[in-house]
Amino acid sequence: MEIVVCVRPVPEAETRLRVAPNGQTLDADGVKFVLAGYDESAVEQALLLKEAVAGSTVHVVACGPAPRTEEVLRASLALGCDRATWVEAPAEFAADSIRAAGAIAAVVRSPLPDLLLCGKQGGDDESGLFSGALGEHLGLPDLNYVTDLRWDAGTSRFRFQRATEAGAERWEAPAPLVVGLQQAWNDPRTAKLPNILKSRKATVAKVHADPSVPPGAGQPEKFELPAPRTGAKLIEYKTPEEAAQKLVRILREEAKVLP
Amino acid sequence: MTVLVVAERTGGRLAAASLDAIAVGISLAGTTAAVVGFAAGPGARESASDLGQYGLARVLVADDPSLEGAPPCAGAASVAAAADRVGADTILIGGTTYGRDLVARLAVKWKASAANGVTEVTPADGALRIRRPVFGGRATETRTLAGPRRVLSVRPHAFPPPPSAPASPTVEPLARPEDPAPLLGPKRTGVEATAAGLGPSLGDASIVVSGGRGVRTAENFHLVEELAAALGAAVGASRAVTDAGWRPGSFQVGQTGRSVSPQLYIAVGISGAIQHLVGMVSSRVIVAINSDASAPIFRVADYGIVGDLFQIVPALTAEIRRVRSA
Ligand SMILES: Cc1cc2nc3c(=O)[nH]c(=O)nc-3n(C[C@H](O)[C@H](O)[C@H](O)COP(=O)(O)OP(=O)(O)OC[C@H]3O[C@@H](n4cnc5c(N)ncnc54)[C@H](O)[C@@H]3O)c2cc1C
Repeated sequence: MEIVVCVRPVPEAETRLRVAPNGQTLDADGVKFVLAGYDESAVEQALLLKEAVAGSTVHVVACGPAPRTEEVLRASLALGCDRATWVEAPAEFAADSIRAAGAIAAVVRSPLPDLLLCGKQGGDDESGLFSGALGEHLGLPDLNYVTDLRWDAGTSRFRFQRATEAGAERWEAPAPLVVGLQQAWNDPRTAKLPNILKSRKATVAKVHADPSVPPGAGQPEKFELPAPRTGAKLIEYKTPEEAAQKLVRILREEAKVLP
Repeated sequence: MTVLVVAERTGGRLAAASLDAIAVGISLAGTTAAVVGFAAGPGARESASDLGQYGLARVLVADDPSLEGAPPCAGAASVAAAADRVGADTILIGGTTYGRDLVARLAVKWKASAANGVTEVTPADGALRIRRPVFGGRATETRTLAGPRRVLSVRPHAFPPPPSAPASPTVEPLARPEDPAPLLGPKRTGVEATAAGLGPSLGDASIVVSGGRGVRTAENFHLVEELAAALGAAVGASRAVTDAGWRPGSFQVGQTGRSVSPQLYIAVGISGAIQHLVGMVSSRVIVAINSDASAPIFRVADYGIVGDLFQIVPALTAEIRRVRSA
């Protein structure tokens, strides 16, 4: 099975967010970029399928600027992906998931793989636009919020679940398919040191993103951090009943979230 | 401007998220006359009359049986055709898993600027200016979506519901356009309802009560569920609870679970790890009940009770029942 997994560099979770001097975006200066958690699940899923289906290969693809994009591709190689393609593009280009999906679609279109995996949404902008846009660009169905994806060789179908408002849906689908992964279920592996060292020397194929791919997610105008929450107003009480009465009164009269 | 609102059906009625989309559509267009409804799949005709409850005078219906159990992407061609038929420049959808996926497909298919989960939309010189939380609610971005076409999903609970203005809309059937892509290949074969159909679903609820490791056992978790039932709230959990198997994974709120943004979020016996916070920090009002005054959850909460949940929660449930029955 030919598997493509699309990843994206995002600021590591502990990053203290700052606003760029132009006020429009995150200040990326000094920020460490890593594989997004959702993408880690996608890589893990790709590797699990590769292990389950003999003769599979995993091709990891990312769109974005140096050096962060190349770094997350090498991190994916260290985890066990077979080859990597870097679709080089400026940060503003890649930040638009619709545009990034278009640029990546151009690279993976022929021959079409059996499965294209990505995270359910970017770990930073949470746009949730990538998998649907990739599917539409390639003329393939896409399913997002997927968990527990397996290949059933007997019926030549993928079987998986989808976490939606209605609950856990069960699905089956033929290849080729685009899948966005919910992070919840798999426990991504960590890379072993020898593989990390090897990945530093591995070849990363590099192509330039086609600048004529149109944008789709609009223009950034402002990036704001909320006023720091001042911390909870603590309710003083002598008995649990008093605490309950005070809280309910506040929720009704002050916060107005209860009738 | 002319707005097409895509209705989604859950549990035999319009999804709460669809009401948010209707409300935004009416406020953007300035008049219900410029807001056209669209409903697809089983129950589409019922959705059409439900849309009429908010003053929509025209609804396009694609009640094609092949869409039953089909993936969200299979409906995109019908939505685009409906938008073109009515001359819409903006498509609005509730920000559910269905709506968010449809927005992504339509952005490419209908050649529109797109955004998911918006919490504010204002016209700006022929463009739309949108705001949306990013980084798990730790920041907010404002973007401008230029014309001529836009497709947006609206973050659940971010807008007041549309006023009731009953009308009986004209209902126009819409044939499913030929779609070259093999979009009907994937099939849904079953659904296990979240929380066994108890109360509203996590994604839809305006109040969520979540329990954490502080409840100590699977049996004790019913304390959290009784409080939720008294409030008409959905039940959530931290990963400590789902990992321990006290409740299924579908209850989990956070980075690896579901993101929720209700009007009121009550965290019971939850410490407030960053991975939990990213799933709930954009809730409008947050209440924490925890015996440890230094728990990080109190830093993001609006109101807190430092105390033993085994005493506080039953008292709170009783108090809610008392005021509800008064
Ligand atoms: C990659 C990754 C992803 C993760 N994703 C998620 C996620 O999606 N969602 C999530 O929730 N977590 C997630 N976690 C786990 C997260 O880091 C925390 O471990 C988890 O949220 C802790 O759950 P908790 O708050 O219930 O438990 P604890 O941190 O153990 O907190 C229990 C709290 O209960 C309080 N307590 C105890 N007894 C009482 C009492 N009698 N009365 C009142 N209060 C009491 C304690 O003071 C404490 O604050 C993730 C972790 C990783 C590494």
